[in-house]
Amino acid sequence: MAVYKRAYRSYTGPITAERWRFLVLTRYSLSQLFSSRAFSWFMMVTLLPVILSAAYVYVTNSVTAQLVLRMGNQSLLSVDGTFFSKILIAQAWMALFLTCWAGPLLVASDLSNSALPLYLSRPLNRAEYVTGKAAVLVLILSCVTWIPVLLIFALQSSLAGGSWAWQHLSFVAAILAGSFVWIAVLTLMSLATSAWVKWRIVATAVTFGLFVLPPGFGEAINGVMRTSWGRVLNLPYLLEMILTHMLGAPMQSHGPFSDQPLPQFAAWVVLVGVCFASLALLNKRLRACEVVRG
Amino acid sequence: MGFHAPSKGTAKVLGFDIRHDARKVRSLVGYMPESDSFIAGMSGIRFVRYMAEISGLPPEQAMERAHEAFFYVGLGEVRYRKLGTYSLGMKQLAKLAQAIAHGPKLLIMDEPTNGLDPPARQRMIQLVREIRDAGDMRLIISSHLLRDVEETCEEVLILRNGRLAALCNLEEERRANRKFLELETMGANGAFSSALQQLGCECAVFSNGRMKVVMPDKIEIREVYRIAEQQGIQIRKMNHRRDSLEDIFLNAMEQTGAAHGGL
Repeated sequence: MAVYKRAYRSYTGPITAERWRFLVLTRYSLSQLFSSRAFSWFMMVTLLPVILSAAYVYVTNSVTAQLVLRMGNQSLLSVDGTFFSKILIAQAWMALFLTCWAGPLLVASDLSNSALPLYLSRPLNRAEYVTGKAAVLVLILSCVTWIPVLLIFALQSSLAGGSWAWQHLSFVAAILAGSFVWIAVLTLMSLATSAWVKWRIVATAVTFGLFVLPPGFGEAINGVMRTSWGRVLNLPYLLEMILTHMLGAPMQSHGPFSDQPLPQFAAWVVLVGVCFASLALLNKRLRACEVVRG
Repeated sequence: MGFHAPSKGTAKVLGFDIRHDARKVRSLVGYMPESDSFIAGMSGIRFVRYMAEISGLPPEQAMERAHEAFFYVGLGEVRYRKLGTYSLGMKQLAKLAQAIAHGPKLLIMDEPTNGLDPPARQRMIQLVREIRDAGDMRLIISSHLLRDVEETCEEVLILRNGRLAALCNLEEERRANRKFLELETMGANGAFSSALQQLGCECAVFSNGRMKVVMPDKIEIREVYRIAEQQGIQIRKMNHRRDSLEDIFLNAMEQTGAAHGGL
């Protein structure tokens, strides 16, 4: 019978597995994000540093390419911890830009349209809602952080030989650990910000501001207190600390008091603390209804 | 729905405990919220399909059911339009479509006719009646519009401050509800009501000379006039009435208000 002729009837067909049902949210959110051509282009632009790095790796390992490019001093070319830390830091910034674009779309629009009761009146709890939305950012950010950087590692391994890969296997752990902590920070901070700031544009600005304004405040603290602890407010700096330490690369100078580096544990504590604080904010904000008293 | 954690006690919905089987309960319930709830930037059909998939339907079945639900609520022609372009009445119907697409056993509708113009309201009432009469699912309607409740519901539960103020079966209430006279008098006193009671009437006297008189079938109204004339009482207003849901509601409010020390 044609659909338009049917009367209401109860559903007796198959049901999907509850465990993976949060992926419905992920699938629809991804589809909504990539329906924007501008976002697709931007996603490709964020991979430019990776493409340039791949070219660099190729030139480093190819004598022919070096001759063609007339590169005299080959000792300047090397693929080491510094190279991987630089590319990861570049991709971390790209991930931040992507998060500012995509993050507020996920939760802020649901809250501004009072859609939470629709989700949470179904067999879906708040944790699954957050997981479904967070999975969108995790997937997108993975595509611009650890996945392409590991591909470059694989490229370097194939060009330099198996022994290079074995000698630098610790890089894989560093790439994964650094990327995962950064993805977790970006994802949770972005979702928490979007949950509290319902307007998308404002949520974008606040998310970006949280990464670029506190470092300035931190430097002011450093200047006044003559300490380097103000840098705990500088999340990109903390990521750089972790990456350079794990990759065995030297830390770049960051203005005054660079000779007083923060301990590694401080970086981990702050980044993990930011994740937990974001989760607490999400837990407080994501409710199916707001009780108006008075 | 599990929006608020229960503080104490137990409750079951469709035989499932709301604490331990909350997920099962929610899979059997369709919810149509009062507020303007929808997902931004989606077409109507995509929205309903999305909701059906979250309820557990596989994508193909969800799509089919979404189309069915949209035609069922009468929005078939506009199902590919963005939700943001829908009128208020269309949005209410789209919310109903998402609530029934997954085939719930219980449908909870929060103020379904709120803000609708008369034709849209009629359409919504008609749909609710159709769903009720089909018998596939049970309906709970939360509304302050008592006329809508009277038109669509069989049982009414009146809450006051979150507590049960009255529970009545509307059909039984209608049957038991005898016709009564509402009088507005000048100079009526205890003797007047006593005389009416001697005739076999039931009387309730209120302030400002207002009275409610339930008359047996055999007594004619002229008897009331005769007694009034004998006692020199002016009858200024006389209405034949039945208790409406509004009366039941106000009564319940007054009674519970009095029980709690006034309104």
